[in-house]
Amino acid sequence: MHGAVVDIVSTLSTAGYLFIVSAGLTLIFGAVRVINLAHGSFYMYGAFLLTTIVGLSSGTKFWLAVPVCALALAALGALVEVTVMRRLYEREHLTQLLATFGLLLIFGDLALHLWGTGARTVAPPVPFHGRFTLAGATVPAYDIVVIGVAALVGAGLWLLLTRSMFGWRIRAAVSDPETLACAGVNTKLLMTMVFALGAGLAGLAGAIVSPQSSVAPGIDQAIIVSAFIVTVIGGLGSILGSALGALLIGLAETLGTRYVPDWASTVIYVVLIVVLVARPSGLLGAPER
Amino acid sequence: MAGEAVLPRRPTRLVRSNGSGVGRLATARLIATPIVVIGLLALLGRTLSINNVLTLEEVLGLAVFAMATNLLLGYGGLVSFGQAAFYGSGAYMIGLSWLHHWMSFWPAFVLTPVVGAVAALLMGLIALRTRRLYFALLTLAFSELFYQLVNVRYSFTKGATGIFAVSMIPASLAQPRTGYYFTLGVASAAILLLWKITVSPFGLVLRATRENRERAEAIGVNVFRHQLLAFVISGAFCSLAGALFAVYGQSTYPDLLNWTTSGQPLFMAVIGGMFVFLGPALGALLYQVGFQYITQHTHDWQLVLGGALLLVVLFRPDGLSGLVLSNPFASLRRRIRGADSGVTEAEATSILEQVPATVTPRSVDQREQMEVPPDG
Repeated sequence: MHGAVVDIVSTLSTAGYLFIVSAGLTLIFGAVRVINLAHGSFYMYGAFLLTTIVGLSSGTKFWLAVPVCALALAALGALVEVTVMRRLYEREHLTQLLATFGLLLIFGDLALHLWGTGARTVAPPVPFHGRFTLAGATVPAYDIVVIGVAALVGAGLWLLLTRSMFGWRIRAAVSDPETLACAGVNTKLLMTMVFALGAGLAGLAGAIVSPQSSVAPGIDQAIIVSAFIVTVIGGLGSILGSALGALLIGLAETLGTRYVPDWASTVIYVVLIVVLVARPSGLLGAPER
Repeated sequence: MAGEAVLPRRPTRLVRSNGSGVGRLATARLIATPIVVIGLLALLGRTLSINNVLTLEEVLGLAVFAMATNLLLGYGGLVSFGQAAFYGSGAYMIGLSWLHHWMSFWPAFVLTPVVGAVAALLMGLIALRTRRLYFALLTLAFSELFYQLVNVRYSFTKGATGIFAVSMIPASLAQPRTGYYFTLGVASAAILLLWKITVSPFGLVLRATRENRERAEAIGVNVFRHQLLAFVISGAFCSLAGALFAVYGQSTYPDLLNWTTSGQPLFMAVIGGMFVFLGPALGALLYQVGFQYITQHTHDWQLVLGGALLLVVLFRPDGLSGLVLSNPFASLRRRIRGADSGVTEAEATSILEQVPATVTPRSVDQREQMEVPPDG
C-alpha cells in the first residue's frame, strides 16, 4: 500500500513536468505544423534562469522567479518566431527539423557562455523542502508542487482553448488559417502568440523542475527526446494526448525504476515502440498526410 | 522542397543509350572522374603531413556516413535522425569483438555492414510504418534507445567510459599512412557501390517515391518495400562508416550513438548539397576541415555549426553544390547542349515506366486494371 502511494506520487510528478514541456511542443505543432527541436533549449534556459534569479537573492524569491522565467522564455520564443520560425511554416519538414536543430546548437553554445559548464542545483522553496507523510507513505514534498502546477497548466490550457476568443482563433487557425485571415484576424500575430505560449510553457517546466534535478548543459538534448516520446505517443498536436503520453511515460519510468532498475532508462522506448506499432499516429493523433 | 529542387541529373543508363557524342563524352567522364579523384587522394596520402593525412582519413569515413544517410535523405526523401545507431553499431562491432575476444579484426570488419543491415531492418520495419515527422521522431527515439542500452550495460560495453585501445585494430592499420590507404580503399569501394545503387532501377524508383509517393503507388510501386531496402542499405553503409571510425579513432564510446551524432551526416548532406551525388562528401570535407580550423581559434564550434546550418536551410536549401550548379556558366553550358541535357518533369516521371523489373507481378496486374492513370 505504501509502495503504491509512493509510486503514484512519483508517476504523477514525472508526468507533471513532462506534460508541461510536451503541451508547449504539441500546442506549437498543432497551430503551425512545425516540430521545434529548440524547444529543449527553452526548457534549459528556463531552468538556468531560475538558478540565476534564486542565486541573486535568498531562496524566498523562488515563487517570484518561476513566473519571471516563464515570461522571459515566452519573450524569447516570440523573438525566435519573428526572426526564424516564420520563414519555416511553408517549408518541408526536413528544413524545419534542420533549422530548429541549428537553433538548438546555437542556444546550447550560448548557454555555455552565459552559465558555464558546471551543474547547478536549487533548494526547494521553504514549505516544500524535505518529505512528508501521505496515507502512511513518505514522499518528497516538492513533488506535490510539480503535480499542482501541471494540473493548473492543464486546466488553464483547457479553459484557454475552449472558452476564450484566443483559443477559438487558435483552433480556427489549425483548421483553416486563410479563412481566419479573411475574417480580419491577424494570423501572423496569432502564430507569434502561440509560439510564445509554447516557449513559455517550456521555460515554466524548466523552472519548476530545477529543484528536483541538477541543471547542467545537455539537459536541452535530453528533455527534447522525452518530450518527443510523450507527444508522439499522445499524437502530435493533441494536448489531451500529451497528457496521456506523459502519464504513460511517468508510469513506465516509475515502474521501470522499481522493478527493472538496470533497464529503467530503456523502458520508455519500448512503450513508444509498442504504441506506434499499434497506432502509427499516436493515441489521439490524426494520421499524417 | 523536393518539388522546387534541382531535378536529379540524367541517369547514366539513359545518357549512354542515346549513342550520341554527348553520351560517349558523359560515359568517358563517368569512368574518368573516380579514377582521377581516387588517384589524387592516393597521391595526397604520400605528400601531405601526417596530421593532414589523418584529417583526410576521417573525412573519408564521414563521407561514407554522409552519403549513406543521403541515400535516404536526398534520394528517398526520408529524414532519419537515427543513423547514429548504425554508425555506433559499426564502431562497437569492432570494439566489442576486441573486448570480448569474439573474433579478430578482419572478420569483425567484414561483418559490420551485416550488423548495420540487420539493425536497420528491425528498425525500419517499425519506423517506416510511420510517415514524415513521425518517422523522423521515431528514428530519433530508436537511436536514443541504442544509446541508452550501450550506456547502462557497463559490464558488456564499458558504458559511458567507452572502449579505448590501439590494439583493437591490427598494428599495421594503426600506422597513419597505411590506415589512410586502407580507409581510402574501403571508402572508394563503398562510394562507387552507392553510386551504382543510386543509378540502378531501384535508385530511380526510390527518387520517384520521393517526388510523388501517391503516384508511384498508383503505378504499382511497393513504396514500403523500396524505402525499407533503402533503409537497410543505408544502415549497412553507415555501419561500415562506423567501423572506419574505429580504424581512425581506435576507440568507441556511447556518444557515437547519440541522436545529435545523427545530425552530423544530415548537416554534411545539406551543406554540401543533397541533390548531387558527391554533395555530402563535399559537406564532410567542409565539416571536418571547418571543425579543425575553428576549434583551433575558438570554443564556439557549435555556434558556427548551428549558424551555418540555419543559414543554409533558410536561404540555400540545395547546398553548396546547388550554388555551383546554378551558376551562370552551368546555365550557359545547358543552353549550348540544348534540350538534351536537362530532364523535364515529364521525363523524370516517365523513367518510372521504363523499369518494370522492380515492379512486382501483383502490382503490374493492378496497373493493367487501371484504365486511366490518376493525375498527380
